[in-house]
Amino acid sequence: MNPHPQIHRRAILRSLAGGSLLMPGILSELLADGTPAVTQTDPLAPRPPHAPARANRVIFVFSNGGVSHMDTFDHKPELFKADGKKTGSGGGLSNEQRVLLKPGWAFKPGGRCGTLVSDLFPHLRECMDDIAVIRSLNGNDNEHYNATLGMHTGSFFFARPSIGSWVSYGLGTVNSNLPSFIALAPQMPYAGTQIFNNDFLPAYHQGVRVIGGAEPIANLERRSKQRGLQELELGLADVLNNRHLSTRVADTDLSARIRSFETAFHMQADAPEAFDVGRESDDTLSLYGLKRGQSEGFGWQCLVARRLAECGVRFIELVDGSSRVNWDQHGDMAEHAGHAKRIDQPLAGLLRDLKARGMLDDTLVVWTTEFGRTPGVDGAKGRGHHSACFSSWLAGAGVKGGTVHGATDDLGATVAENGVHVHDFHATILHLLGLDHTRLTYRHAGRDYRLTDVHGHVVQDILT
Amino acid sequence: MASNCCCRAVADLSAASPKAICGLLLSVCLVVAGRADEPAPSFFRGLNLNGPPVVIDGNAWEGRDSKHYVCNDRAFENQAVPLVPSTDQERAKMLRSSRWGGNRIELTGLPNGTITVFLHAWEDNNPETYSVSINGREVLRRHNSGQAGHWDKLGPWFVEVANSQIVLTSQGGAANFSGIEIWRGRHEGEEPPIAPDDLVFFENRIRPLLVKHCYECHSAEAKELQGELLLDSKSAARRGGATGAAVVPGDLEHSLLITAVRYKTDAMQMPPDGKLSDAEIADLERWIKIGAPDPRIKATKFAGKQIDVATARQFWSLRPLTNPAVPEVKYATWPRSDIDRFIVAKLEEHGLRPADEADKRTLIRRATHDLTGLPPMPEEVEAFIADESPQAFETVVNRLLASPRYGERWGRHWLDVVRYADTAGDNSDYPIPQMHRYRDWVIAAFNRDLPYDEFVRDQLAGDLRGGKTDDERHERIIATGYIANARRFGSRVDDYPQHLTIEDTLDNVGRCFLGLTLSCARCHDHKFDPITTRDYYGLYGIFHSTRYPWPGIELEKRQRDFVPLVPPSELVHFQKIVESRKQEQARLDGEVNRLREARRKAPEDQKKGLADQLKQAEEVAAELRKTPPPFETAYAVAEATTIEDVPVQLKGDPTRPGDLVPRRFLSVLGGAELSANSHSSGREQLAEWILDAENPLPARVMVNRIWQHHFGRGLVPTPNDFGKQGKPPVHPELLDHLATAFRNGGWSIKAMHRQIMLSRTYQQSASRDPEAVAKDPANEWLAGQSRRRLDAESIRDTMLCLSGNLDLSPAGPHPFPPEHTWDFTQHQAFKAVYDSRHRSVYLMTQRIQRHPYLAIFDGADPSTSTPARATSTTPLQALYLLNNPFVHEQSRLVASRIVAHGSQDDARLQYAAQLLFARPAADVELSTAHNFLAKARSLLLAADTPADQIEAEMWQAYVRSLFRLNEFVYLD
Repeated sequence: MNPHPQIHRRAILRSLAGGSLLMPGILSELLADGTPAVTQTDPLAPRPPHAPARANRVIFVFSNGGVSHMDTFDHKPELFKADGKKTGSGGGLSNEQRVLLKPGWAFKPGGRCGTLVSDLFPHLRECMDDIAVIRSLNGNDNEHYNATLGMHTGSFFFARPSIGSWVSYGLGTVNSNLPSFIALAPQMPYAGTQIFNNDFLPAYHQGVRVIGGAEPIANLERRSKQRGLQELELGLADVLNNRHLSTRVADTDLSARIRSFETAFHMQADAPEAFDVGRESDDTLSLYGLKRGQSEGFGWQCLVARRLAECGVRFIELVDGSSRVNWDQHGDMAEHAGHAKRIDQPLAGLLRDLKARGMLDDTLVVWTTEFGRTPGVDGAKGRGHHSACFSSWLAGAGVKGGTVHGATDDLGATVAENGVHVHDFHATILHLLGLDHTRLTYRHAGRDYRLTDVHGHVVQDILT
Repeated sequence: MASNCCCRAVADLSAASPKAICGLLLSVCLVVAGRADEPAPSFFRGLNLNGPPVVIDGNAWEGRDSKHYVCNDRAFENQAVPLVPSTDQERAKMLRSSRWGGNRIELTGLPNGTITVFLHAWEDNNPETYSVSINGREVLRRHNSGQAGHWDKLGPWFVEVANSQIVLTSQGGAANFSGIEIWRGRHEGEEPPIAPDDLVFFENRIRPLLVKHCYECHSAEAKELQGELLLDSKSAARRGGATGAAVVPGDLEHSLLITAVRYKTDAMQMPPDGKLSDAEIADLERWIKIGAPDPRIKATKFAGKQIDVATARQFWSLRPLTNPAVPEVKYATWPRSDIDRFIVAKLEEHGLRPADEADKRTLIRRATHDLTGLPPMPEEVEAFIADESPQAFETVVNRLLASPRYGERWGRHWLDVVRYADTAGDNSDYPIPQMHRYRDWVIAAFNRDLPYDEFVRDQLAGDLRGGKTDDERHERIIATGYIANARRFGSRVDDYPQHLTIEDTLDNVGRCFLGLTLSCARCHDHKFDPITTRDYYGLYGIFHSTRYPWPGIELEKRQRDFVPLVPPSELVHFQKIVESRKQEQARLDGEVNRLREARRKAPEDQKKGLADQLKQAEEVAAELRKTPPPFETAYAVAEATTIEDVPVQLKGDPTRPGDLVPRRFLSVLGGAELSANSHSSGREQLAEWILDAENPLPARVMVNRIWQHHFGRGLVPTPNDFGKQGKPPVHPELLDHLATAFRNGGWSIKAMHRQIMLSRTYQQSASRDPEAVAKDPANEWLAGQSRRRLDAESIRDTMLCLSGNLDLSPAGPHPFPPEHTWDFTQHQAFKAVYDSRHRSVYLMTQRIQRHPYLAIFDGADPSTSTPARATSTTPLQALYLLNNPFVHEQSRLVASRIVAHGSQDDARLQYAAQLLFARPAADVELSTAHNFLAKARSLLLAADTPADQIEAEMWQAYVRSLFRLNEFVYLD
């Protein structure tokens, strides 16, 4: 099934083999005697979960700006009827009473399950048998910045580790030649780098931001004019470092640092390969709506996400849009169409591709946003920020496809049943990875911190 | 296990059921001044907002035509809706006619002084949730209006009226405002007398039931109050506990007492030991239905956790500072100082001996990095080697302490602790061009060895201390940048969360000066340390009474309340200049608007002329806007306009005030209060309380920080936490010995460096005996020095220094864009990285965006206090050293220095080792290097490198290799 098994197999094997695989020829040319064997400690070595995991990795898709729930995944027939006739929560920050605005798109059932999805997402609609929609998600803040921070860290005001960092910390990674947590963020989201920051967790759990283009990871591009010269430099450093180490009582810090150069050396080769979608077939490219040679756009992000998943990257975040250009339609909801068009086919393509390769069985795909939008109007034909209820979905490993969880009231203004707070959402994602959100703790500044603070309940109803 | 503390942002509270956070008598004090001898409150005015004059509770109310208010809201009336609870005819008439939409009522013609406001509101159809504010300050959060017919008398709210008027507004859902009742003075909100039958019912059926089943956990007598709920007085029951109002008269749905006794929801079932009988539940339901008549009018309160100070001060860090006897040791020939005797005594307890003395090259490299963050120059190394006098090392230490580079290194350690940043940390991260003055003040303070007690006073209260000269006064003002530096939050102005900024201040004051985690006590008494919520708000009042500068935020983008650095005598003059400029700017802007409007309306033939005039006016207005004020300012604090105590905030929620707490110090450290006639914030006193001779913490905490940066680890390994969650010292006697010496020696930090560095303990080799490594892996007993990785700044500064590229001239301000161009929002936040050849302490540091280099190498986290740097090892660091242009550039420059040093490879290799490692190269290294150079030459030849570049390039490759070595980034 996998047309490019060599990518990840080789990378992972290399990563797991340990010991010095670095240029044995060069070492012998620099040295008369043999290099002393070194015991390596890998801080990112895979760690067993608390319970058997359903998902081995996560692709976390975040749509910036606040996607309207009543125009996408939460059908509100009453809102169509009440258009312009009644008032409801509206205005920029959902704190005013405004005339109701009907959704701009018709809803149709998708898949055998018949989950209703609007015409904004015709491709995803066909995938609904694999998707569990949550219609009762809710958060604490109606500002982009704070809601975005909350969706990523569980904290709406203070910087805390990102969910990706927590997952990396909890599970490690199977391929230490690539970062365990990669954020494909061509543009900066709200709250900036904080949303993929490790904060107080050790730095190896930091999300590595990938912009795309020639140097997807900072300092990845070999600057020495020749590969041979860089290898030689590393060979010399290896010899001298090992000599330095041999005169000192075993020190894992020193040996881990020697190892890190080897990893970095391989990353220079492996990482660009992982990002090179040119190696994909035309059929695969078209599944994501990509043209050959294209190395940007949301389709590129989705396809790279699959390739990184194959390479064993633990947590892959896709940032859709930016803090400047995004789903924040205060003035005219019609602009949602362009944003939906950008992500609909690539996301459906990602699900189909993962499924065809058998990877959807152990890959969790999450799509979310920082909040929904108001039933009442904002501006001329837009909607305001609304964190009281909004929609998101999960698909893949351990998720009961074709289901809908929770409901909002007739207008989509408040949660009517089975509310799912952001903390619950996080608890559920961790649960699918075999992590108990109450036990995934890190001691910092005198107390044990959790992603879910003192909250969080796993949403059992959407699990298989 | 679960997280054992529930510190959380206040925003989390809204995650609770919004219906739960309402209260009929939620009283919010806007006035918290002294309350003694107040006259009894008297009725002043009632306003029926959408109806005729009425008489309510015997008082005559004005009707909708009253001249005493302004309200443009829509009017609504429906006299057919049955009211819950039912009420008299006049009140019902008033209630069922109301105003809505907009919800802004300006009340005029009020008496100045303290007044009490009640608001009558009702619901005609579906429940709405809204908040109420008076003069922009929220007095009621997320009130639920209830089902159709439900009404509330909201308040009392106490307001201090200054200009005969107040503005009452609501935010959120549609609110129906029916009437407003105003009293002179403070009216606690009594209700009409209870009907005799109702009283009998309460006394016979309700009170006994509450006493029997509820009081054990929910009364002032409770051993430990549960859920912050008191049921032993009317006001407490109605205010409710952590989850909301227990009793809402007439409203079974929203009375959590009823929810709990019905046992229908899993989350709330009371009493916990078994459901009440059906008859008892029915009694409670009836009681609520008839309006919950309750004669228990004396408000109760739970005194809260009492700290047993004597017991609490038995804890190691709170015990009085002592000067312990120096121990006798067996290995008596080894110690050179008392520090050594304490260390050897501990080693002997464990059957260990100290390590050998470090060789001189290792020692000078260690000392130079420790004190300056830079490597020793080869000539300094050789001078030290050549100096065979017993004072040789002391000479080195004194030379380093006198170097201006010392303050840059140790100032940075302090900036870590105070979470220094050049931006504000709000959602748009506004730049603070003046912040660098505080940074420079800290660096200078270390360089001139400002005594630590003065260092503390200046940062907490420098603005109140004055000074002998203008310079001294200004420096002390700048020092309070410590407080101004607290983080800003959000994007908004009118509901700016100042409580979070104050929390950030208190959190830092606690960790920084006292080694205590105060912020745990924001929402509840500290679970581990003897700090209560009342302690927290006693300190909170001090910073509440302090004016913080406004750095700009999304919705108000310009600086204000910065402190002018002008002589006091000229302050008024400068303020006049500012004021007249403001007026001039307004006049010019008005002119621009006038012309713009005129051009829009003008006939075609006049448009051109007006456009030219407009352009000219715009230029003049822009020119003035661009002109900086005629004096410098500091990002510093001042006394607030209102100096006052604050109430406890229940669960850390500023809209849920509890009891007022006088401004004071922590009870466990004496609990000193401000004197009764004090009219200042109390910051000066706070500094004195912290530095009080009876307080052992500041000296212990600061000597521990100094020790930490000489050994890689403090005697107390948690330098910001000397509480129960921290780790106790392995050498408590040594800690006290040093702390006493520090205090008695005039708080001199440089003297402390000398004392530590001249000990044999400091001068040990980092090569420990394998037995010591096995017994003490973390090297707590110090049977040898600790091997330490250079921090981010030292790695960068060392490369710059070796390449000869380090700029040691004053770094000054950052090249921020000028203030008049600022338009940052959360959508387009301020974000910049400025290149610099200055030392890394001068790199522009953003609060919420990590500097790309510092983030890779474990730089300080500018959003929170960093007590100790992490030393992670990541491939991203390796990639940086492999490929970053900065590294390649410094390698090029170092290589050219090396090549210029001599024509022979061996001489060059020796020089390289001297520069990078402060030692000569070993023979085996020379042969490896020869092999390397030969191989590099052939590779470069094979790659057709121009002949005249080959030598330079092979040496650059060599230096790049050395920059990556463990020996380069680790100190032995």
